Amino acid sequence: MPSDLSIRELTVNYGPVRALHGVSFDVPEGQIAALVGSNGAGKSTVLKAICGLVEPVEGTITVGGEAVAPKPGAALRLGVALSPEGRRLFGRLTVEENLMMGAYTVSDRRARREMLERVYGYFPRLQERKRQAAGSLSGGEQQMCAIGRALMAQPRVLLLDEPSLGIAPIIVAELGRIIEQISRGLGMTVLLVEQNAQMALSLAATGIVLETGSVKLTGTGHELLASPEIRAAYLGH
Amino acid sequence: MSFLIAQSIINGVILGTLYLMMAIGFTLAFGVMRIVNFAHGEFYMIGAFLALIGVNWLGLPFPLALALTAALAILLGALVERIVFRPFRADELSGMIASLGLAMILQHAALIIFGPDPQSFPALVSGVYRLGDLIVPQSRALTLGVGVVILLAFYVFLMHTRMGRALRALVQDQEVAAIYGVRLEIMYPLGLGLGVALAAVAGGLMAPLFGVSPFIGATPLLKAFIVVILGGLGSIPGAALAAILLGLIESLTSSFVSASAADIVTFALVVVVLLIRPAGLLGRGEA
Repeated sequence: MPSDLSIRELTVNYGPVRALHGVSFDVPEGQIAALVGSNGAGKSTVLKAICGLVEPVEGTITVGGEAVAPKPGAALRLGVALSPEGRRLFGRLTVEENLMMGAYTVSDRRARREMLERVYGYFPRLQERKRQAAGSLSGGEQQMCAIGRALMAQPRVLLLDEPSLGIAPIIVAELGRIIEQISRGLGMTVLLVEQNAQMALSLAATGIVLETGSVKLTGTGHELLASPEIRAAYLGH
Repeated sequence: MSFLIAQSIINGVILGTLYLMMAIGFTLAFGVMRIVNFAHGEFYMIGAFLALIGVNWLGLPFPLALALTAALAILLGALVERIVFRPFRADELSGMIASLGLAMILQHAALIIFGPDPQSFPALVSGVYRLGDLIVPQSRALTLGVGVVILLAFYVFLMHTRMGRALRALVQDQEVAAIYGVRLEIMYPLGLGLGVALAAVAGGLMAPLFGVSPFIGATPLLKAFIVVILGGLGSIPGAALAAILLGLIESLTSSFVSASAADIVTFALVVVVLLIRPAGLLGRGEA
């Protein structure tokens, strides 16, 4: 299986603290991969490095075979869009303006329209609230808006950072179903970063377990869910 | 009596337009670049001199002089961003101090070039409009009309264009705007350039009414501050409301009491608003 996003020997320091030690993994094209691990394991740092928000000391990140420069916006040009941790919507902009910010670099008007229709198809509640300030939405709706904003960039690789954080369990299940639909329907590669290992691994074809800045385990989502080690450490069984 | 009230209201609205033009540029520079730009008033002064040069020295028609002033001001703003503010991008305090230095340089440069005496600006139009008892000098009506058109155009740009939306997004979260492809190295000079242009055009527009000298920038800067505080940081409708309110209070108080009473009332209002609504009239809790 060709891999869409490939991370090799990624090492990142925050000042004197080493956050990632030589992390390597691949995300196969058109599939969902889950990057799980406890708080502080370095999951978000991986995404920040991909998006050029931190500069790696060593290692390479390639998308579709092309290296990503460590600059904000570089990953976007290669087709990578991030829905950041904590959603980080533009709170005073309307829902629709937030979505259009996702499509800031998409110059094709028709492509923008079509993707907007799709996003509203996945998240009908966003359409109902499209003229409302994004900051006035509930947590779950904000998460939908953040995912929608990332989709609007028409990415080949979608990065989702902690979409379940602070959201009611029933909405988490709904989000999970929609993420699966998006990946299937659009043939999109998804890297799902989660503390909620149960949710992430049950969606994912591939799972990567990160622990204190290194890859501890990889496998299919089902293998990892069944592994006693994972069950004990992350699922509380 | 009712004549005097109507006259004061018109003058107040003109003042409000001026204050709003100043406040929007000031708050834009703060929102986009996190710089409290103390040189903002000096750009008003420069705009007034540019318009004066255009009309008096070069004999250009006023609209052309004003358009050239705006164009030069955008370039000047972009240049100032590059030379003065960019080195302090991650350092708000130093940026603010740099803007104070810039204000002094600009004011004293104008003093060296033009001297300290106020210069008179030729009246653009003479004559009055009569509406019943009410007499509106045409020059005031013109200033008000042009100011409102410029403000509306700027509002449409900010609310309904791709770049305007990107500027507003940038105010809220630079990092996320950048990962979605908003280029800071373009938006910073653009944001400051537009703010400087609004101040300069306000200067040019008000020059025929209020005169031109190197020292005219201080008051509009102070008023921009007050409008931003009263209206609520970052709220454009709040700024509009505060600007008109401030203009009306000043104008009515100076007509019916005295000009110095106008300042007292203005600052008393600021104190009261800050006590009752610390976030400003239409401001939200967060900055």
